[in-house]
Amino acid sequence: MINKTLLALGAAICALPAYAENAQITGTVESKCTIITEITGVYGNPTTNKLSTLPADGGVIPIVRYDVVSANHYKAKITTPIAFSSSPPLDDVVDWTGTSAVTEVSVAEMSAYETNKVIYNNVTEYTLTLAGTTWFKAESTALFGYDKSFPSGTYNAIVSAECIAL
Amino acid sequence: MRRKLCLAPLVLLAYCSFSYSDLTFEQSANAAANGYNWVMTNILPDYTGLIVSGLVYQYTTVKDTADDMVVTVQNENLAGDGYIFRSVDDWSGLPGNSINKVIPIPAVLGSAFGNGSISWSGRGNVIDANVVYSYQYDLCFDPQADPTCPDYVKPIPELPVIVVSDPLQDEFIRAEMEKKAALEDEEEEAERLKKKKERKGKKRLEILLGSINSTLLSAQAQAQADLLLAMNAGIEVYYTSIPGGRYDETVSYADTQLPPNVNARRVSFAQQLLHEKMIKSQYSNLISQP
Repeated sequence: MINKTLLALGAAICALPAYAENAQITGTVESKCTIITEITGVYGNPTTNKLSTLPADGGVIPIVRYDVVSANHYKAKITTPIAFSSSPPLDDVVDWTGTSAVTEVSVAEMSAYETNKVIYNNVTEYTLTLAGTTWFKAESTALFGYDKSFPSGTYNAIVSAECIAL
Repeated sequence: MRRKLCLAPLVLLAYCSFSYSDLTFEQSANAAANGYNWVMTNILPDYTGLIVSGLVYQYTTVKDTADDMVVTVQNENLAGDGYIFRSVDDWSGLPGNSINKVIPIPAVLGSAFGNGSISWSGRGNVIDANVVYSYQYDLCFDPQADPTCPDYVKPIPELPVIVVSDPLQDEFIRAEMEKKAALEDEEEEAERLKKKKERKGKKRLEILLGSINSTLLSAQAQAQADLLLAMNAGIEVYYTSIPGGRYDETVSYADTQLPPNVNARRVSFAQQLLHEKMIKSQYSNLISQP
């Protein structure tokens, strides 16, 4: 009698439908590399056909700061402008030159970034091998036509600073 | 229960006032502005309980990449041996550049900071150095520093010490007094000696006179005594006792009426008349003269 009851109970359990639950997992990855514009650049206009960020030309060199928490995990990529983001209509070509350099470091060894930087086109790349803060400057010069005067108006250009995870 | 609930905010308020604190955060000027060695007493303000929480230093190295150069930024430790912080930057084999370094310091008293310096070894130079200290202080660290501070206790003014100079303790006065006392003693002694001398002289005189008188008296007395003895009546007187007792008043006057003295009145009246006559006679002489 008992055996029959147990068998019936077992059969009843087996007959129940199967349940499943999906547990969600979320996570946030905070960037270990932050970029802050410390000084906004200004173009000076020393001659009618020239716009320059050099202080000697009456300009202000933009400075960006990279704060890196983890060493050897990021690359700084700084792109100097090759076109105005906004300007009066221009009827001639603009000859662009731009350079980027390490201006200040929080660790002396970061000075080697300048030696080891990679330049291509208007881009400069630095491998951030040390944790700490590095300041980069980006100089930019624009010459209009062949000794041609820039039309009056406001000129804007953008220096792109990126932190690329390796 | 309700009373306890009413007291709760008061207790909370008292707790809040106890934990009152007014910290001031500031930064120093560039410690390396006047050279690469600096004295901290010239950099940090003189507040009791001032705490240094960090510093930022910047400098630029001018060097060839191939050269070796080591730069050290440091502060001596006045509270012990060695340095409170020491940051070493090795620029060997690196191109010269500017460094901007933040040094967190875990709350060290400003009084523990000794002299600071930037020094370097190797080939190269350091320019444009800038060292700035971050510090904090509580103006009420010592509650007595400001009457507005909590826990300030009004100080009890110190009573001025009054120096009481006892004139009797003065050296000169004492000397003068001793001198006076000595003089008085001398005068007293002289007086005493003088009196003694006088007494002695008087005594001698008395003795001298006494001896003369006694000689004279004794001679007279002897003669008188001899005379009395011869009369046989002298010596017994000395042995006669005077009877004592009470001597009552035996004479008394009875009260009587005194009769008026007519003669006396007459004399008196006559004298008055005479007197007036004399007075008038003076005036009569004056009138009679031309």
